[in-house]
Amino acid sequence: MAKKFSVVGKPVIREDGIDKVTGKAKFADDYKFNGMLHAVMLRIPCAHAKINSIDFSEIQNDESVFSIITNKDIPGTKKVGVIKNDQPVFCNEKVVTPGDVLGMIVGQSEEKLRSLVNKIKVDYSTLPLLTDPQKSLEPDAILIHPETKSNLIIHHPLRKGNVEKGFTESDHILEQTYTTQLIEHAYIEPEAVSAIPLGAGGIKIIGSIQNPFTTRRIVAAVVNLPLDKVQIIQAHLGGSFGGKDDTMCILAARAAVAALKTDHPVKIRYTREESILESYKRHPYILNYKVGFAKTGKIKAMRIDILADGGAYCSMSPFVTWRSVVQATGPYEIKNVHTDVRAVYTNNPYTGAMRGFGSPQPIFANESLMDEIALRLGMTPDEVRKINGLKEGSITATGQRLKNHDVNLLNVLSTAMKNTDFKKKWINNKKKESQLGELDLSQPVLKDSQYMNPDQLIKKGIGLAISYRGCSLGAEGIDAAAAYLSIQNDGSAYLLSGLAENGQGLRTTFSIVAAEVLGISHEQIFYLETDTSRVPDSGPTVASRATLMGGGAVKNAAEIILDRLISLIRKEWKLKKKDEIEFKENKIFVNKNKISTFPDLCKLAANRGVNLATIGWYKSPTVDWNEHTGQGDAYFTYVYGCHVAEVQVNLGTGEVYLDRITAVHDPGTVINKLGAEGQVYGGVTQGAGYGIIEEVTTDRGVIREQNFDQYLILTSKDIGEIKPIFIQGKEIFGPWGAKSLGEPTLELTAAAISNAVCNAVGKRFFNLPLNLEEIVLGKKLRPEEIKRGSLQ
Amino acid sequence: MKTSIEILTPKTLTEILGILSERQEILTLIAGGTDVITGLKQESKRFKDTEVLVDVNHVPELKEIKHMPEKITIGAAATFSEIYNNSIVSNELPILKKAVSTIGSMQIRNRATIAGNFVNNAPCADTVPALLVYNATIEIESMNSKRETYLQEFLQGPYKTQLKKDEVVTKINIPVPTKSFTGDFYKLGRRRAVAISRITLAVLMELKENKINKIRIASGSVTPIGTRFPELEIFAMENDVNDNLFKTLASRMGEEIIKITGLRWSSAYKLPVVQQMFYQLLKGIERRSL
Ligand SMILES: Cc1cc2nc3c(=O)[nH]c(=O)nc-3n(C[C@H](O)[C@H](O)[C@H](O)COP(=O)(O)OP(=O)(O)OC[C@H]3O[C@@H](n4cnc5c(N)ncnc54)[C@H](O)[C@@H]3O)c2cc1C
Repeated sequence: MAKKFSVVGKPVIREDGIDKVTGKAKFADDYKFNGMLHAVMLRIPCAHAKINSIDFSEIQNDESVFSIITNKDIPGTKKVGVIKNDQPVFCNEKVVTPGDVLGMIVGQSEEKLRSLVNKIKVDYSTLPLLTDPQKSLEPDAILIHPETKSNLIIHHPLRKGNVEKGFTESDHILEQTYTTQLIEHAYIEPEAVSAIPLGAGGIKIIGSIQNPFTTRRIVAAVVNLPLDKVQIIQAHLGGSFGGKDDTMCILAARAAVAALKTDHPVKIRYTREESILESYKRHPYILNYKVGFAKTGKIKAMRIDILADGGAYCSMSPFVTWRSVVQATGPYEIKNVHTDVRAVYTNNPYTGAMRGFGSPQPIFANESLMDEIALRLGMTPDEVRKINGLKEGSITATGQRLKNHDVNLLNVLSTAMKNTDFKKKWINNKKKESQLGELDLSQPVLKDSQYMNPDQLIKKGIGLAISYRGCSLGAEGIDAAAAYLSIQNDGSAYLLSGLAENGQGLRTTFSIVAAEVLGISHEQIFYLETDTSRVPDSGPTVASRATLMGGGAVKNAAEIILDRLISLIRKEWKLKKKDEIEFKENKIFVNKNKISTFPDLCKLAANRGVNLATIGWYKSPTVDWNEHTGQGDAYFTYVYGCHVAEVQVNLGTGEVYLDRITAVHDPGTVINKLGAEGQVYGGVTQGAGYGIIEEVTTDRGVIREQNFDQYLILTSKDIGEIKPIFIQGKEIFGPWGAKSLGEPTLELTAAAISNAVCNAVGKRFFNLPLNLEEIVLGKKLRPEEIKRGSLQ
Repeated sequence: MKTSIEILTPKTLTEILGILSERQEILTLIAGGTDVITGLKQESKRFKDTEVLVDVNHVPELKEIKHMPEKITIGAAATFSEIYNNSIVSNELPILKKAVSTIGSMQIRNRATIAGNFVNNAPCADTVPALLVYNATIEIESMNSKRETYLQEFLQGPYKTQLKKDEVVTKINIPVPTKSFTGDFYKLGRRRAVAISRITLAVLMELKENKINKIRIASGSVTPIGTRFPELEIFAMENDVNDNLFKTLASRMGEEIIKITGLRWSSAYKLPVVQQMFYQLLKGIERRSL
């Protein structure tokens, strides 16, 4: 960090904050249009069925029904997907998961439509169900999509060295199985989208859309229009966390089909129940790990076998599981690695992108395993990690040498330990044996000896987890982004990038980047509405890539304009080569003497005919990947993090109290300190919920927790202090070396908590979430019926 | 959800009783609405005939909290926030105050009322065990009658009470506990706010020379409705307070619960935990009163 920044790294309040908390910001459902119709979905309460016929006769003449939309009304592609086109826009032959939509009825009154939709008679034959992913590759398994000939969505192998040799060279072998659960994104705003027909102009879509360019591609294919006739505008978004991608693409496509057919604006908005029912979730994983290691703690070999439940559709499964195969060993240098990651189809709710994207699952497994190794060898958790952890020049599991950036893994680890007095606490809390009494279910009445001394009821524990994470898309695909910057002749500016504001504070971050380059205030910059017709396709806003890629594009745009202004100054003021020009505090200095202000200079530029608008571009360096061996330079750079969880466990009830989470991250350069801290608070809380409470359960493929009375996420009262600490490592990519933070903040917390629980109670847990029953009974309990008694 | 519902806002108790004297099938009283509105939205069968809501919030006398010589009177429509912040409750009814503090969130406590809680009578109604150990009685009025009954008798089954269609609960009366009483309330939920209780326990006892002179024990969420444990209370009386007694009481509570509910999906967890936490609660009370 040679340069002294004026705004970068300072805490800046997000530009949309006040509008959001005062209710002025317009979310997707706040938009209303003349002649607007609503569309209501037709579904059947069944996870796998053949549709024989749909009888609309009872409702088709009802005056509330303006139009009925089915598969037949689709002018273009009838099946879509972000990677593979396996998801029907409307299911006309069969349903493979209960969220599936057969058709829609369209009319003015959404309320009336909702009461009419139940009168449509669907004749269907149920098909056998496949809900256990472990059965989906058996030879006689029923096929979810018979045309694919197998339920295998994807298989990512990784082969490095010789694991068998590694195991024979090992002093110890450990083999463990871990499982992680299905969870919901739980964004506060349910899905909403409107499609407005524009006649010869095609169609305009406004919605709660995470990835406007992906949505444009899919809508264009479905309505059979060229990309330029499909305009996607992103409304203020009430959270997404990866969740408003596929679902929103398909909803936008349905609205577009209806809008074009009826020639009216059509809105679709979901209730919370529909949102939870239809939207995709985080993949549940079953993870088998076998590790061989020497007495010294050095890991010799690791064999990993991971099965991901992809549910009914492919969605992002190939990419989610690709990140898993790259990172599955954890941030350790291991000579011999043999990994297989598979994703399979089932009739369960489909799974796709969610903040973390294939990393929280293996991190829970491999970081539990590292603690097991430490315990087995009588080491502390940091010792075994230091012996194996990635350093400058280390070779990763994919055979990539880490270079060109600070490999700060062990640095984040020791910083986190120092800040929490980790070693001392860990040793003090460590238990020789399980403190949890064994319960005998055939003897439900407690014996005297089972009552606990009140002073022994609550146990303290501390645990940590570390990770490395590839930044941006890696070998998933082309990685480039654009930004449009236009300076007005009063010194104010329009800014827009092709990446989307999904609540992460990107508008503010990008404004800071442009302001820093031009020596102006970020408040002079007006960030425009995200609109696919105004700026080049910049890929999806995913993979914690916005600051790195979009920030790079903004910086590029600002520098192009800065260069033009510098040329102008040199000419107007007849400067010599050696004269130093500086843009600072909205003023222009030459050799430290003020010669003009930024607004005056912009006015001059306008008078001289200088173009002060441009598109900046940032393209990632190439990466490479061999899909047969799982070897290659998977990502062009990495970030590193360490979470330390300090917990108390109530041995009587199984409650895990989260006293403090210390989160140390190296995201490269921090652009907005407030935004960065916000990422940590949110990510840690989500990660902690994943660790101890969140779980979507299904009954014959049907989700049981369809609202937040039953799907529980943590409240602010459930988590104690969250302490963010940033170590800003050197990096050659991104704006001034700014990289990724959004997902790293979530991926570590559950693993750190689980290790802390083990430290507290002397027993390891292998199955997330560590809820009350898991801690007390070592298993989950599922009620047969979760319908509320209050409804009877 | 129903497309339209009429709401009446009577200003006096007489007005409420007048309204309730006819068309009762389609009327439902509403106080905070935190059970009624959610029930309507979820199309609960309990409200299938409801066409008119009668709002009890505009009658000042239904909100009063008063200290009478022998009893404390709480208006039926007092909200949990009002109860929590009331000094009489703070001084005299700490167990109720603690129960109230565990309910929902600030927003819910600002709306939800005490009568709404036990008239709804969910198994997990958090004030019920507290009111039961205080021997609360409730006053109920209709156009032509006025009666007072023990809460325990009023509660009949999950979501069922003695309340007749033309009646309204007007107040809750609680005999002032003597200063020699001590006790505690315990709630376990899956999280620390906006949590439906998995287990609640309330205990009120009076110790005399290290013996239990009086004890009242109640639970919620572990039996079909909040309930007292009379046999346990009788057993405990006159016994020396010691660790063994507490363990015996806790295990006996386990036995009683099995007798009432049999074994259910949740028993594997709830049974051992309720016994353990009842024991812990008793130990805590003992420690504090030493
Ligand atoms: C998010 C949320 C969280 C919650 N958390 C908790 C919790 O932690 N613990 C808990 O116990 N409950 C909880 N509840 C349930 C609810 O808030 C309570 O049961 C509350 O006490 C109900 O009171 P109310 O005034 O809102 O009742 P209402 O919904 O207005 O009425 C409930 C019932 O009582 C009747 N009624 C109301 N007043 C009278 C009267 N004066 N006379 C006769 N009948 C009357 C109504 O007709 C109706 O049948 C929660 C609810 C929500 C929505």
